[in-house]
Amino acid sequence: MHTSIKSIIIASAALLGMTTLLSACNSNPSRATACSLPEGPDLERAIAAARFDLETGCEQQFDQYFQRLLNIAEGDPKKDNKTTFSDFLIWANEQGLLSKRQARETYTRYFGVKYVSLISDYSVCDQTCPRRDEIMRQMNRELVDKEQGLLKVSADRRDYYRANRLFQETELVLEATCEACGSNE
Amino acid sequence: MNTTTMRDHNTRPKFVTRLLGGCVLLLPMAVPASSQTPTIKLFPTTVLEEIRHTGNVAAEMETGLQTVIARLDEQQQLYIQSKCEGNEGDPGCEQIARQMGKSYLEMLNIMGDKLPEMETAVNSTSASLEKRIRSELGHKKTSWTLQELLAGAQSEGEAKADRPALRGRSGMRLSDRFHQYYQLVARSGGEVNSSLAVIASDIYLDMRETSGLIARTREEISRATLMEQLNQSFGTITPEMQEVVAGVKSILFGEEQALMPMTAPPASQPEQVYDSPLNL
Repeated sequence: MHTSIKSIIIASAALLGMTTLLSACNSNPSRATACSLPEGPDLERAIAAARFDLETGCEQQFDQYFQRLLNIAEGDPKKDNKTTFSDFLIWANEQGLLSKRQARETYTRYFGVKYVSLISDYSVCDQTCPRRDEIMRQMNRELVDKEQGLLKVSADRRDYYRANRLFQETELVLEATCEACGSNE
Repeated sequence: MNTTTMRDHNTRPKFVTRLLGGCVLLLPMAVPASSQTPTIKLFPTTVLEEIRHTGNVAAEMETGLQTVIARLDEQQQLYIQSKCEGNEGDPGCEQIARQMGKSYLEMLNIMGDKLPEMETAVNSTSASLEKRIRSELGHKKTSWTLQELLAGAQSEGEAKADRPALRGRSGMRLSDRFHQYYQLVARSGGEVNSSLAVIASDIYLDMRETSGLIARTREEISRATLMEQLNQSFGTITPEMQEVVAGVKSILFGEEQALMPMTAPPASQPEQVYDSPLNL
C-alpha cells in the first residue's frame, strides 16, 4: 500500500513535470505567432496590436514594429499622426522599452526638424570637423527618415521644407567653419 | 584655324567653370535674433568695411575693363560679319585680327594692374572672416548649438513674409556681389545672429574661391601676354584668347545662366503646429 501511494506520487510528479514542460514548449510557438508584425491599413488597430506584442515578449523587435507602424501610417498621412507616434513612444518609454533619451531621439529623427545626428558636447572645431563627412552622411540618412515621418506619415510639408533647408544651411556653415578651423590659428 | 566666338560659354576656361560651379550657395536674409540668443560677433565694423572696400575695388576693375571688352565684342562681330573665319589670309581680316589682339593685350594689362589690389582686398576680408568664424562658430559652438542657431533663424525668418528663397550668385557682377553682401550684413543692423552665420559662411567660401581664381589668373596673364605678343606678328585670333576674354567677362560681369532648381517653401498651410513633449 505504502509502495503504491509512493508510485502514485511519483507518477503525479512526473505528470506535472511533463505538463509544465509541454506548456513551456507550447509557449514558444505562441510567442512566435504573437510577434508577427501588424497588418492592415488601420493605424490605431496596428498600434494596439503592437503594444500587446511588445508587452508580451516581443520587445526585442521594437524597431521592426515601429517601422511597420510608420509604413501603415503612410497609407493615411495626416498631421495627427505626429501625436499618435509621440504617444506611442511615450508609452514605450513608460513600459521600459525605450529610455527617455531614445524616445526623444527616435521622435526627433522622424518628426522633428532638428537632426539628432548633430548631438554633440564639444566644440565644432574639436569634435565635429574631424568627422564632418561622416556626420553629413548621417544627416543625409536622417533626412530620408524625416521624409518618411514628416512628409509621408504626417503630410507636414512645411516642417519637411525646414528640415531640408536646415540640412543645406548646416552643410554650408560646417564647410566654412571647418575650413576656418583647419587654418593656422 | 580654329576659332570660336567670344560668347561661346562652352569654351570658357576651367577656372570660370569652377567659379560658377561653386556659386550655388545659400543666402537667406538676415533676421532679428531671439532675445535669449547670445550675440555672435561675425561682422564687426572692420569686416564690414573690408567687404565694402572689396566691392569698390571690383567696381573699379570692371569700369576699367568695360570699354575694352565692349570694343573686343565689336571687333569680334566685325570679324564674323566680314566672313573672316576660314579666310585668314585676307589682308582686311588680318588687320581686324591684329586690332583684336591689341585690345586683348590692353585687357590683360588692365587686369595685370588691378588684380593685385583685388587679391589683397579679397584675402584680407577672407582672413578676417576666417578668424571670426573660427572663434564664434568653431570654438564657441557645438554642432547641436550651431544647429539651434540655424533652426532658430528659420522659425524667426518664417515670421517674415519677405524671406527669399535660396539663390545662387551666378549671373552677377563681382562688384554687385560684394555690394549685396554688404547690404545683407548692414541691413541686419547687428541684430544678429543666425542668418548671419550662413551669410558669413557663404561670403567666406566665396572669398576663398575667388582668391584662388585671382591667383591663377595672375599666373596666366603673363603667359597669355607673351603668347599674344607673338600672335600679333601673324594677326591671328586664337581660341585661347577668346576663352580668356569670355572667362574674364564671366567673372566680372556675370553671365546668363539658367537658375539652379531650388527648394522653395510650400504653399502656406493652416497653422496647426503639434509640439510633442519628445521633440528635442
